[in-house]
Amino acid sequence: MEHYSLKINGHVYETGAEPFESLLDVLREKLRLTGSKKGCDEGECGSCTVLLDGKPVLSCILMVSDVRDREVLTVEGLPQGGEPHPIQVEMTERGGIQCGYCTPGIIMSAYALLQENPRPSEDEIRFAIAGNICRCTGYSKIVEALQAAAGTPIR
Amino acid sequence: MTKKRGLGVGSMFYGIGYGFNRADIGSAYIEMADDGTTTVYSGACDMGQGIMTVVAQVAAEVVGANIDTIRVVAADTTSTPDAGPTSGSRATFVQGIAVHEAASDLHDQLMQTAAGMFECEKDELEAHNGDVYLKDANSPIASLAEVAARVHLLGGRCASWGWHDNSTADVDPATSQGDAYASYGWASQLAEVEVDTETGHVKVLKIVSATDAGKAINPVAVEGQIQGGAAMGVGYALYEQHILDEGVPRTDSLAFYLVPTSMDVPEIQCEIVEVYDPKGPFGAKGIAEPATVPTTPAILNAIYDAIGIRITDTPATPERVFQAIQEARARGEFKD
Amino acid sequence: MAQPENATSAAQSGPYDWIGSSVPKVDALDKALGITQYVGDMQMPGMLHARIRWSGVPHAIIRGIDTSEAVKVPGVRAVLTAGDIPGINRYGLAVQDQRVLADDKVRTAADPVALVAADTEQAAEEAITKIKLDLEPLRPILSIEDALDPTAPSIHESGNLFTRTTVRKGDLDQGVKESDVIVEETYRTHLMDHMAMETESSLAYMDPTGVLTIITSTQYPYRDRRQIAPALNLSMNKVRVVQAPIGGGFGRKDDITSEIHAGLLALKTQRPVRLVYTRRDSLIANTKRHPMLMKFRTGARSDGRLTFVDADIYGDTGAYLSLGAFVIKKAGIHACGPYDVPNIRVDTHTLYTNNLSSGAMRGFGVLQAAVAHESQMDQLAHRLGISPIDIRLINTLKPGLATGTGQVMDEGCGIEATVLRIKEYMESHDLRFTRS
Repeated sequence: MEHYSLKINGHVYETGAEPFESLLDVLREKLRLTGSKKGCDEGECGSCTVLLDGKPVLSCILMVSDVRDREVLTVEGLPQGGEPHPIQVEMTERGGIQCGYCTPGIIMSAYALLQENPRPSEDEIRFAIAGNICRCTGYSKIVEALQAAAGTPIR
Repeated sequence: MTKKRGLGVGSMFYGIGYGFNRADIGSAYIEMADDGTTTVYSGACDMGQGIMTVVAQVAAEVVGANIDTIRVVAADTTSTPDAGPTSGSRATFVQGIAVHEAASDLHDQLMQTAAGMFECEKDELEAHNGDVYLKDANSPIASLAEVAARVHLLGGRCASWGWHDNSTADVDPATSQGDAYASYGWASQLAEVEVDTETGHVKVLKIVSATDAGKAINPVAVEGQIQGGAAMGVGYALYEQHILDEGVPRTDSLAFYLVPTSMDVPEIQCEIVEVYDPKGPFGAKGIAEPATVPTTPAILNAIYDAIGIRITDTPATPERVFQAIQEARARGEFKD
Repeated sequence: MAQPENATSAAQSGPYDWIGSSVPKVDALDKALGITQYVGDMQMPGMLHARIRWSGVPHAIIRGIDTSEAVKVPGVRAVLTAGDIPGINRYGLAVQDQRVLADDKVRTAADPVALVAADTEQAAEEAITKIKLDLEPLRPILSIEDALDPTAPSIHESGNLFTRTTVRKGDLDQGVKESDVIVEETYRTHLMDHMAMETESSLAYMDPTGVLTIITSTQYPYRDRRQIAPALNLSMNKVRVVQAPIGGGFGRKDDITSEIHAGLLALKTQRPVRLVYTRRDSLIANTKRHPMLMKFRTGARSDGRLTFVDADIYGDTGAYLSLGAFVIKKAGIHACGPYDVPNIRVDTHTLYTNNLSSGAMRGFGVLQAAVAHESQMDQLAHRLGISPIDIRLINTLKPGLATGTGQVMDEGCGIEATVLRIKEYMESHDLRFTRS
């Protein structure tokens, strides 16, 4: 067991972990940041998406030893001043959420997209969330919510 | 030209609930606290489709409360009554009535007490959005909270419950003749596809889903079911398949079991049809399964419209479509 | 949060305050914030992690299960097999043909054979790989055709044809005689997975009053309780089943999945036990969508009116029935589609095989039936030179007409309205069929 200081959502978390443990398991089981979900644990479904130094990554296939000295952002870190992020608001109000299990991963992929490209086209939105499987919505309302969050016209 | 487009239609009906003499019940407790906030103990599971929200809407409507003052407690054998499973597209249809019954009775209790407070008949009163009105009057005479506090003060019953039995007799065992289901859902879909005749790959360009919700209690939630149902139908028609090798599953990872992504699911145009169902809550019908059933036949029919070849085995994978095209070519029945 | 002004299609209508209004779902914001606790997100003090050892072969006699190496893995607190079940080792939704843990035989490649609870998931995972199974292979039944073979070995005592249902209406011969065109075709549908994003999961613990509490991803806690209590030899009022927030179900979670296993481990260890399926567990185990073989013959007159449907539907329910007989019966009830068909013969056959079991899945047999009846409708349309839209409009049920089971429609019959909506959409968007 090694000791890790992890920078997550602007805070420093101290934890013991085996070097080969996934960032996702450490977030969920050790730090109790359970917003990031485990849908497959093999990098296929996108439910565990977090940002690492601003880029979306799959935390289930990233070892905790790989994120030393780097900035991790999870869905819990998005609200500012106690207010939900506009992506979280639009996803809620426009029917982008059904079972909700893919939701944190989708929101993080979308957040990363909007940081890079504040006014994405529909195709760019669909491409950005192509690694996030959603089984409930057929993606339409997610795309609408992200267009609304970006302030771009909704089809 | 290697890409050919086609249109296809699929229609269906779907018996809502259980039929076959199987228990098909809904039930809920409802309770209003002294401050006018309401708790509904609803035994119907919400898997994400939104029955808890429908329950809150029905309760708010019938009690006359603001929806923000309604809390719905999820299914629990210790705290909620048995409302049957959430399956068979039955939750809104069956549980909606049970909640309606519970909320109506609570509403009656409240109006009875309010009638005493304002020396009128309870039929002269109604409640909307947390306030009590004399019928046809514009300004409220009291808040539901004031009335609820009064009921509690007087030791009155500020709680109720509702039960709805949707069970139907089984059909005749020899002929299956009989009223198989209490009600039915209805839907038709149009699919537009593009078939690549070089590869057999089928791309769905558009789906139009006309789904009869009876009465859409929450239109955005209905659209969500329609779009999600169609996406699942796209997966069934084209991509998703468990492959067993001598009974042993080989598709044991999402790397092999292919679910549609945001790049695979096309625009899904929702056409909510509302043909009132006298047996449903506010005329509503079940839509969860009707929303997914027509997609696959619509896609298969669209493939035929595109290339003149009928795919009779699902899924219509590129290999299967390509092979069918090759066979048609060999028979001289396919024009490139 | 009241009615949102910006809801995309909030058709606020009629005399209602809330009905018809697209209020945001009551549980959505918590999901967006990552606050919602699904079973896999929950922890309890002293909680153990569980894993299941699956059979791996589709049909075999169990000669022995050696757990001696598994129990030696550090952190392992329990390794259980069928002999450890305190109650009745049987359950099932329609008939009790499922074993909590395989005893005499394995009947699918995903039969649960042993359970492990350990301090960590890694220890539990390691332990299940160290369980040695001594299996004597039996000839597996792997197709509908195999299952229909009367000389094939029987998977259960009752034979491989579980049940047959029949729909009869009118006079089939008369219907054939009145037909100007008859389409005959065989359709095959495949095994599909529900693939809910959240896998099957339960957290079980003894509460301070001695009630076994199981927080689970389920579609029906009361029926779970009905199945859990006898297997664990508990009275039903000493079992509490709580529906956790669910990450999708689609019919899979209608059945018992992880509930009895988690409960059994909690009972044996007297510790909280969390059993969360891996994605692999979820893909290989529990119920799927029934593969069906459907032989259809459908007739119509030259004016497009349907004259008869003559069909055989064979459903592969795998080794355990679940709701299979109802799914396949429902396929038969719906085999004529939403149409007025005067003469009908439909037989359905529910068959056991050693394939993965199938049960309830969104569509419940009607999806498979629709693949057949809608393909038939199109084939008839093309043969008769009638558009696919028109042949449906000619035949749709309407108030006063009856379904294939003779149920007379009331004003709630909406099929014509949905076809007309599609027709209007095609006309207003200038969409035309290529081949009619």
